[in-house]
Amino acid sequence: MNKTASRSKFSKIIAVCAIMALVGVFALAGCSSQSSSSDSSSNSASTTSESSSTESTTLQVFAANSLEKALPEVEALYTQQHPEVTFSDTQYKASGDLVSQLQAGASADVLITASSSTMDKADTNGSIDESTRTNMFNNDLVVAAAENSNFNVSNLTDLGTDSTITSVAIGEPNTVPAGKYAAQALQSAGLLDFTTADDGNITIQDNDFVTNKLNAGADKVGTVASYVREGQCDVGLVYSSDIYRYDGIKNIYTIPADMHKPIVYPGAVCTSTSNADVANDFLNFCLNDPDAQRIFSEYGFELAS
Amino acid sequence: MRTFWREKAYETGGMMRGLRVAFALVACVILIVSYAKPAWAAGSTPRDSRGGNIEQAAVTTQDVSSSRDGFAGNSTISESGDAIVVNGTDYAINSFSRSNKDTNRTYNDVYYGYRYPVESANCFSVVVAQGYMLVYIPSSVIDQFGIDINDASFQQTFLSMLDAVDRQASRGGTMFADLQDETIYFTDSSQVVVGDYTYSFNVEIEDGHYYTTVVQSGSEDGSSGGLYAESGELSVPAETVVNTRATGLAALQQFLSNLDWSPLWVSLRTTFVATAVIFFLGLIAAWLTIRVSDKAKGVLDTLFTIPMVLPPTVCGFLLLLFFGKSTAIGRWLIAHGIDIVFTWPAAVIACIVVGFPLMYRTIRGAFENIDSSMLDAARTLGWSESHIFRKLMIPLVWPSIAAGTVLAFARAMGEFGATLFFAGNYVGVTQTIPIAIYFDWMAGQTDVAIFWVVVVILISFLVILLINVYSSRTQRYMKVNARDRKVERFIAHYDEGQDGQDSQKDNSETAGEALS
Repeated sequence: MNKTASRSKFSKIIAVCAIMALVGVFALAGCSSQSSSSDSSSNSASTTSESSSTESTTLQVFAANSLEKALPEVEALYTQQHPEVTFSDTQYKASGDLVSQLQAGASADVLITASSSTMDKADTNGSIDESTRTNMFNNDLVVAAAENSNFNVSNLTDLGTDSTITSVAIGEPNTVPAGKYAAQALQSAGLLDFTTADDGNITIQDNDFVTNKLNAGADKVGTVASYVREGQCDVGLVYSSDIYRYDGIKNIYTIPADMHKPIVYPGAVCTSTSNADVANDFLNFCLNDPDAQRIFSEYGFELAS
Repeated sequence: MRTFWREKAYETGGMMRGLRVAFALVACVILIVSYAKPAWAAGSTPRDSRGGNIEQAAVTTQDVSSSRDGFAGNSTISESGDAIVVNGTDYAINSFSRSNKDTNRTYNDVYYGYRYPVESANCFSVVVAQGYMLVYIPSSVIDQFGIDINDASFQQTFLSMLDAVDRQASRGGTMFADLQDETIYFTDSSQVVVGDYTYSFNVEIEDGHYYTTVVQSGSEDGSSGGLYAESGELSVPAETVVNTRATGLAALQQFLSNLDWSPLWVSLRTTFVATAVIFFLGLIAAWLTIRVSDKAKGVLDTLFTIPMVLPPTVCGFLLLLFFGKSTAIGRWLIAHGIDIVFTWPAAVIACIVVGFPLMYRTIRGAFENIDSSMLDAARTLGWSESHIFRKLMIPLVWPSIAAGTVLAFARAMGEFGATLFFAGNYVGVTQTIPIAIYFDWMAGQTDVAIFWVVVVILISFLVILLINVYSSRTQRYMKVNARDRKVERFIAHYDEGQDGQDSQKDNSETAGEALS
């Protein structure tokens, strides 16, 4: 008797769970049908692009965070010359995040990262077409400070010895390429040491400098610049192009290029693209169009040779 | 590859080669002997290789930087920093641009050197290098404006103008006027040699596209020959259009017209759809929960409430795992047409997941407060369960439903973590106001971020005001006359079936509580 009662209770729970699951599925189905209708109304280009690529194409670009100001202008220029090609909201995140996002299933046509190692990872994940990979930009690493500050840096070791500098910001080394270059430069300067795991991820060892001064948590290089601009950190290690990208920060020391791996931005067409030709053409345009070159030069990106 | 420029640069003969080696040697010696001293001291005086003038300026960078303040009041500069007009001068600067970096790339497989773009053949062109800077003004322009490049007062005025536009265009980069030990040279020669470096100005490499090129002898990379380069046109002041920065109301108008309003619409669209779904889901879930056994209730309640307790990023991550390509479930869903990661429905789902518990808990609490004997009585009157739900329970808990809806709306409106994780930051699609605030601030657009903060405060203020007006109105209404006749009729029905005075009092109190 007792057994049957508990069994009926149990089956009731199952029934209720089944009903809830059904409700959930209906809700989802409702949402996904909404999605297709809303997509076609608000963002018609992206859905129609696949069906009629001859008429209009929308390119989804995933680009390193540091390109946030320069690339939109180049994209506008491209659309001006090729009215049939438009760009959906380009994602400017830390290169490591973009690679993870592609791995998680986001679809994109073009990927531009700020380091060879992040592009290698995308290649290993099968996110990019290796044959289209090309080096696009070179950059420098600099020490940035707020525009109205008076820090004097003539050598990277000054960051450790100068007691007026109380905090140094760098990007999170494993997702932010600028953070990895910064860690390499600080290691060359003897300020810190790090270990490298098999998957290429690095772990910074604790020492006085790391504990007392270093902030290595910024989620992208732009965040480092923001920290410096807003005064959360005294100085930050960013690209020289970031100096031109943001108001309110200045370059106080250009770090010699031999203190870190060469800063190279590779670009490639993604495997999830359905517009490989257009994507490839856009990459070539970035590298070869004189007007695009003007924009990149204004923002401090050196086109790779 | 390099034969092209060799022919061009060294057509003047073999004597140059000897000189060049000598200069390189001198430069090397200086570099080695006095590393701390300016690299380009004596021995690397610029010389032209085209038979023009090259003169060291009588003006120093210190002269320029010290006269900045006096100069600023006398000039008008455009907002974008591409033009400047100075009172009392015969020329203005127009189409000014600064190249912070450029490229060592070949063009059509021909190497021209490190090249900086120049707007046109008639541009003046400036290369700022370590220790020296070269100002090239084409002789046609010199003739047109009657300029003497060796005249100190011209040099002072021109360099001050250049400094003013440079400051606007430098954006925190190096400015020539701030450099110490910088020697300034003016030239009308289109090619100048300094030490190892050969500078060619306004070279037309492609139809209509001009460049200033730097070639370092013995190297395929001329990038070390310049810190940055600038170019611009000299123009007649009266014909120069200078768009100055707008102020006051005009600036506000400009700000608003340039503003991308999409975060507001995305936020409203997402939140309203999510709230509508939450409204029904919350009602159904609360109704189901109070109807099952205590054990099942515990399970369901935990399941429905957990998104409220979990950090939103965890919700976002779980959703990403559930719908994303990296799990079997996600792949199955994608194969069956539900591919929503980083799309607008994902933003709606994120809002639903985090907003739902607020609605559910508020209504469940209210449902539980309904006197169960009232429901039993309704059943004895032959009302079906759905009839009881619609005609009795919902009217009784209506204020709680309204409160739960508003809470869920507010939560959905403020949703950030799960949305960012699951739906990303796509302008016009999934970029809601909270996400826009974060990314605008990050991108250095503090004014836009502050604008959205003000908008959010205004919306919140409006919502709270609406709740207060609504609740004070319903309370007054309920005091004056019973809000729901049906409930009152039911209570009357119910009371007739009861015996004692006491129980009648109790029941009407309970009903009153439920309504308040």
